[in-house]
Amino acid sequence: MQFSESWLRSFCNPSLTTDELAHALTMAGLEVEEVMPAAPPFTKIVVGEIVTREKHPNADKLSLCTVNVGPHAAAPLQIVCGAPNARAGIKIPCALVGAELPPGEDGKPFLIKPVKMRGVESNGMLCSARELGLSTDHAGLMELAADAPVGADIREYLSLNDSKFLIKLTPNKTDCLSVYGVAREVHAITGAPLAPAPTGDVKASLTDVLPVKVLAPDLCGRFAGRVIRGVNAKASTPAWMRERLEKSGQRSITALVDISNYVMLELGRPSHVFDLDKVHGGLEVRWGTSGETLKLLNGNTVELDDKVGVIADDHAVESLAGIMGGDSTAVSLDTQNVYVEAAFWHPIAIQGRARRYNFSTDAGHRFERGVDWETIPAHLDRICALILDICGGQAGPMDDQTLNVPERKPVTMRIARAQKVIGVPVSADAMASIFKRLGLAHTRTADAYIVTPPSYRFDIEIEEDLIEEIARIYGFDSIPALPPVARAAMHAKRECTRSLHELRAAIAASDYFETINYSFVDERWERELLGNANPIKLLNPIASQMAVMRTSLIPGLLANIHYNHSHKADRVRVFELGKVFVRDASVADGELAVAGIAQPLRLAGAAWGGAVAEQWASPKRAVDFFDVKADLAALLPSDAKFVAAEHALLHPGRAARIVMGDATIGWLGELHPKHLANFELSSAPVVFELEVAPLQCVALPVHVAVSKQPLVRRDMALVVDQAVNTDALIGALCAGAPAFVRGVEVFDVYRGAGLSEGKKSVAIRVLMQDTERTLADADIEGACQRMLEKAAQQQGATLRA
Amino acid sequence: MNMISQSLDDTVAAATADFAACADAPSLENAKAKYLGKTGAITELLKGMAALTPDEKKTRGAAINLAKQAVEAALTARRDALAAAALNAKLAAESIDVTLPGRGKGQGGIHPVIKTWQRVEEIFGSIGFDVADGPEIEADWFNFTALNNPPNHPARSMQDTFYVDMNGTDGLPLLLRTHTSPMQVRYARMHAGDVTGKGKPIKVIAPGRTYRVDSDATHSPMFHQVEGLWIDENISFADLKGVYTDFLRRFFESDDLQVRFRPSYFPFTEPSAEIDMKFESGPLKGKWLEISGSGQVHPSVVRNFGLDPERYIGFAFGSGLERLTMLRYGIGDLRLFFEGDLRFLKQFA
Repeated sequence: MQFSESWLRSFCNPSLTTDELAHALTMAGLEVEEVMPAAPPFTKIVVGEIVTREKHPNADKLSLCTVNVGPHAAAPLQIVCGAPNARAGIKIPCALVGAELPPGEDGKPFLIKPVKMRGVESNGMLCSARELGLSTDHAGLMELAADAPVGADIREYLSLNDSKFLIKLTPNKTDCLSVYGVAREVHAITGAPLAPAPTGDVKASLTDVLPVKVLAPDLCGRFAGRVIRGVNAKASTPAWMRERLEKSGQRSITALVDISNYVMLELGRPSHVFDLDKVHGGLEVRWGTSGETLKLLNGNTVELDDKVGVIADDHAVESLAGIMGGDSTAVSLDTQNVYVEAAFWHPIAIQGRARRYNFSTDAGHRFERGVDWETIPAHLDRICALILDICGGQAGPMDDQTLNVPERKPVTMRIARAQKVIGVPVSADAMASIFKRLGLAHTRTADAYIVTPPSYRFDIEIEEDLIEEIARIYGFDSIPALPPVARAAMHAKRECTRSLHELRAAIAASDYFETINYSFVDERWERELLGNANPIKLLNPIASQMAVMRTSLIPGLLANIHYNHSHKADRVRVFELGKVFVRDASVADGELAVAGIAQPLRLAGAAWGGAVAEQWASPKRAVDFFDVKADLAALLPSDAKFVAAEHALLHPGRAARIVMGDATIGWLGELHPKHLANFELSSAPVVFELEVAPLQCVALPVHVAVSKQPLVRRDMALVVDQAVNTDALIGALCAGAPAFVRGVEVFDVYRGAGLSEGKKSVAIRVLMQDTERTLADADIEGACQRMLEKAAQQQGATLRA
Repeated sequence: MNMISQSLDDTVAAATADFAACADAPSLENAKAKYLGKTGAITELLKGMAALTPDEKKTRGAAINLAKQAVEAALTARRDALAAAALNAKLAAESIDVTLPGRGKGQGGIHPVIKTWQRVEEIFGSIGFDVADGPEIEADWFNFTALNNPPNHPARSMQDTFYVDMNGTDGLPLLLRTHTSPMQVRYARMHAGDVTGKGKPIKVIAPGRTYRVDSDATHSPMFHQVEGLWIDENISFADLKGVYTDFLRRFFESDDLQVRFRPSYFPFTEPSAEIDMKFESGPLKGKWLEISGSGQVHPSVVRNFGLDPERYIGFAFGSGLERLTMLRYGIGDLRLFFEGDLRFLKQFA
């Protein structure tokens, strides 16, 4: 909310500077976001009156004016002016010789000197509103009111030595959605006296009453209105009101609209003015019915139903209750007779309604938070008195119906509870004084205060609401920052759980940089890269490339490679640890689960470019499957297996499913060449994606005594079909191995000359060691024999000659 | 006698000179033969002793043996010298440029926001805070209603929420959590029994991703928060001030950091506070910077934890990890965190 400092000070004027006042408001929870001067600095600009205006003798578009500036010059000044609206009789801001105009783009003030313009002397300058920095209007001279005192300093006359406060109000502070409400807070914070709230004295000289039936007391709790006949809708808004509206960031529209807006800013009271002659019959206040429509003041037509409140006449709906008036009964410059209405709308009946239609209004904003119902007659009188004063006319009697207003229940605040929650022994007397300054009526029992909240407060229902008020006015700064006293309990991380940070550190140590990519991705990525036709969609994405929830981290990493490649990187290795989101009907609501969606954490990486950074000591070689497989050793449990398998993203011959027991815990492979073009790459990255949960479990080591017996090593070369994979061959060998075989490893694979077509030779190392005795040659040869037999049976292996 | 000893001395001198002239092991072996070989000078002298009398043998023999030892010593010295020279030459040939870069894979690095995440965990862990994580697609109840923010409440418009095309079991649309606060409720409900049964406080932080419909230089549609929650029988607003002030001073490693608490409003805390901080030195010196929202947990929320708010009170806070990271490392643009630019990421390795 924005308003001028002078308006605020007209109600409560503490002896604080502008900055001190702003700070005090901020520290009481009314955050002052900005304090802006009402006008930029300028000097020696006064109210002038154009006495004569003639065409410039040497220029078609210039005028030659004589300007009365009162006591500032003995005779009217001769001033050349280019504005189209320069004419005799108007009053305008006139910069005298020696005046400094607001700084221009160079930051320096513009100095007015006597000059000759096209051969004619000019002793000053007539100003537009833009030249004074008051608005962007530069269509012509800024025309002042006819009664503006000639010679008066324009800063005084327009009250420009003022500041505009912009405050950010939290949703609970509905009582501060007006200048008077803020003044009430200033009074509570500073103790400076508070002026009484403005009202009006309206005498009914007519007997006209517009019949109003309130049919929905759950929508409208109180409804008051008055007929005023014979208004001059063309009357101009007084300068003082216009000035306050403009400093509040509102443009002046017409007097009737301005008055309604002004009182909303002044007292927080939204109201509506109907053109009485356009209302058919009487009004009824009720819930809408489906099928009804309403064309609003803003030109939009909305469809209604029984969830939104309306004001209707005998023919049609005329207003969206508490939010915006209708177009057909709106006042215009031709309006002569009006009906002015102010009502109490229940917050719950207004909340969310404007948002449903995708707009918001100042009235709706206030009503959905709560507006005082007790002051309705006083505020309606304020509005009507202003209308009678500015637009003239004669008023009818006030029709005020109270049906169902909230009850203000007393709230008990225990003194000890307040002290415990705040953590400071604020004295009971200090609490009473805070309540008094806040205008909260209270009584005292032995150990508590009982407070009855005023009708303008909608945020006091429970004890904590009062404790907050005590803390706020006592001052958060006055509450000490205490190191808490708590029972000391040791807290240790589990040795068998690797934290996410340890996993990150492990993969970062293998030369991968961590990235953070958005959890929402382009729907095309899911469909084309991952073959997922049904990702979870956002109902309100901010962009089409952020429209669905990802089911894999890999596309984001490929985009990271693309981004860095386009910035001239020739080797990119990135990883991410984050959640993916998969529809899964088997997931039920749980302590950490939401039904229907699996949200597992994954760790994924992508390596592209050289196996190592290009350098003097290592031959240049592109990263491949086995480089990355080695990187994963730091992450995977030792019993993880790699099984050849196909995946939409991956090269069908260079992809592996990573399994533990029966469970797939991840994938590793080279990107399928058909996806390279998507990321503008000419060579394939190697990518992996692992479930995080299995990586976090590590076994607690259990010591086994080291054997003192000698270790025996036997190497053998086995010839098998190319299709036989290493795991299967080792599995067969192990099936035949006695317990003293400690390890079976592949140390070479050979294909080529000396082998028949379709065969390969695999060099195997077998390590043997008994725990109790030295192995005899017969043991060793027997073991090798049995292992070979199994390998022959299961995988067709033969010993290489 | 003199002449004899003179000739022996000459022989030793000649041998030493010959050895010295040898540049390598084979020529040294040839030179050795000239004196100590089968027909060598010393050997010949020893052979000539057979013709001498026993007395002569005694004196002559001792002199020749001395000369032989001298020749052998000269030979050994020369051998050692040649070996040392050969080794030195070999080592010199083997020398490397120690300033060339090391071979093999380099080191990657952790994202700066995650570094902050980890440091926050460590700092709160040092006074016994647990760490929790939970769903990012969240149910309306946990994100809003349980936190005292029912449907249509004006406070809901404080946060622009992303919704997904699925409904929760309560029939309301599921959403991307707008803050980490749902984890307060989830964690507290999991541990309420420990509080009432074992007298263990709830003391947890929950860092993680959060989402809001907002995107410009200072807002990202996805960002990170860390939630903090401490519930026990006597944890007050003054304790919140103490803990959070201490945290900021440890995080920024600055004891003169100024921290202020300013009244604000969140549906799930009361009293509520915005926390601002001010550096006393450095480029941001003297400016109040918003860093966190906080407050005493609202009694309705404590009730939703499954605890009696009459007995259990405490505080909660939520801070932006990006904001902490930007202030810590002097990063000016939020978008850098999500671009994956290695030139940026490598600065934090």
